[in-house]
Amino acid sequence: MWSSGRRVLQDLLSQAAVRSFSLTPAQNTVVVERWWQVPLSKMGKPARLHPRRHRIYKLVEDTKNTPNKKMELILTQTVPKLGGRGETVFVKKSFGRNKLLLEGLAVYPSPENKQMFAEELRLLREGRLEDRIQTRTGQLTVDFLKRSQLKINKMPSEEFQLTKEVVCRQLLKKLGVVVPLQALTLPFEPIKEVGDYWCEVTVNGINTVRIPMSLLPYEDQSAAYKKQLKIQKQHQGLGATVRKIWALQSIRLKLCNLYSCL
Amino acid sequence: MMFHLLSILSSRFDLERQSIMPLLKYSHKVWEAMKLKEGIYTRLPKHYLKSLESKEPTPVHWRPLGVQYRANPKTGQKERVQDVPIPIYYPPESQNGLWGGEGWIRGYRYAKNDKMSTRLRKVWKPQLFKRQLYSEILDHKFTISVTARTLDLIDAVYGFDFYILKTPKEDLNSKLGMDLKRAMLLRLARRNSELYPNDPVKREKVYNKYKQFEIPEEEAEWVGLSLEEAMEKQRQLEHKEPEPLFKVCVDQLVEELNAQKLTEPHVMEKK
Repeated sequence: MWSSGRRVLQDLLSQAAVRSFSLTPAQNTVVVERWWQVPLSKMGKPARLHPRRHRIYKLVEDTKNTPNKKMELILTQTVPKLGGRGETVFVKKSFGRNKLLLEGLAVYPSPENKQMFAEELRLLREGRLEDRIQTRTGQLTVDFLKRSQLKINKMPSEEFQLTKEVVCRQLLKKLGVVVPLQALTLPFEPIKEVGDYWCEVTVNGINTVRIPMSLLPYEDQSAAYKKQLKIQKQHQGLGATVRKIWALQSIRLKLCNLYSCL
Repeated sequence: MMFHLLSILSSRFDLERQSIMPLLKYSHKVWEAMKLKEGIYTRLPKHYLKSLESKEPTPVHWRPLGVQYRANPKTGQKERVQDVPIPIYYPPESQNGLWGGEGWIRGYRYAKNDKMSTRLRKVWKPQLFKRQLYSEILDHKFTISVTARTLDLIDAVYGFDFYILKTPKEDLNSKLGMDLKRAMLLRLARRNSELYPNDPVKREKVYNKYKQFEIPEEEAEWVGLSLEEAMEKQRQLEHKEPEPLFKVCVDQLVEELNAQKLTEPHVMEKK
């Protein structure tokens, strides 16, 4: 069997056991067609097949090789990194069948289920305040806002004051959070003095988060000014080192003088 | 000339008749079909006999044209076309699983996909998976060998029970599937005693979900039975214990005596 060393390696490397499991390799739904056209039969009569030619088939398609489509499901619970209850998600079929449907984390998007969850979501949005539950993304937003704080630089103009609109704009600019005007409450309005304050943001009309907010004095935000500042800083650093070197040298000189005197 | 040909034909016919059908009234080829016309088969319920009629399954392994006429792709002329199904072999084990209408395609292919090349034997077989499928009506998990197509079909109708109940017999193409269907239909028909006996809330929910498939219990009992099973069932239904002859005779005698007594003149005695 193993007449040469090369064959040994080949035999060992090839996965014979897997291949010989079945003579024809396993495939999914195959679609075939005939190589030879069947002659047209009379109306209502069965076609007359050639015993040899008409059993020769050509593989048209094997669905195993088609790209895997995703399946649509409705979540019944919050699944990390996927979505919250009532959300429609598109997941890989294997994940959907073996994990989500098996563990009851999701259901099929049948018309009844869709209607049920749509009704539930509508109630959440429009129902009484006590019944409403924060959505998953809403909870994420709340957590993020709890961790963050807002720093606003004053503008050089005389009549500058901190209003709701300004705070909204700054929230979008600095934190990337879109806050509609009615969701924001500003206790000390209008603010003109530099100092520390706070504002309150209501997420989905349920949770209210207090964000620390500080008004800083005017600072030029332009790129040119920043560049200038950087250069200045570098110069300062350079000056400091030069001064240090000078000081050392002066000490050495003094020491030399001392030695010479001695 | 004509006479000669006819005589040859007739002699051949005689020969054939003698060799194949020596003394039979009907050809053996029609026995299967004639079997249903007599005996216990005629007494089987109507709905069961109707379910035995064979129908064309949905094409799985070939693409039907779906039209009577079409423009010739080369010449553009209108021409008549016809769908010629590809014969599929359904091995016996397909009856114990849910293959979703798939089977073996037994035939040939050309080597290198070249019509001038060698013709090679080829069997295309479906890939089978063992999967646990949960039935809501039966409240049980079944480990069934399925194909990927079956799983897709189950997803398309939103559930295993819907797939079993909605798919017709010729598409299900499995004894196991039909047995499951019968069990589910019986559960629905006998919902008060068998469908979730300890949980009335769940029973109501499940029943409302699958209400559309409910059929009477007498019909559900026959769904998916093979001809042998149906025959046996009918035989048991018709079976009666044989009555001993002496009992019959005694009854007859009593009757006769009664009749005799009635015919005799009634004599009233004076006291």
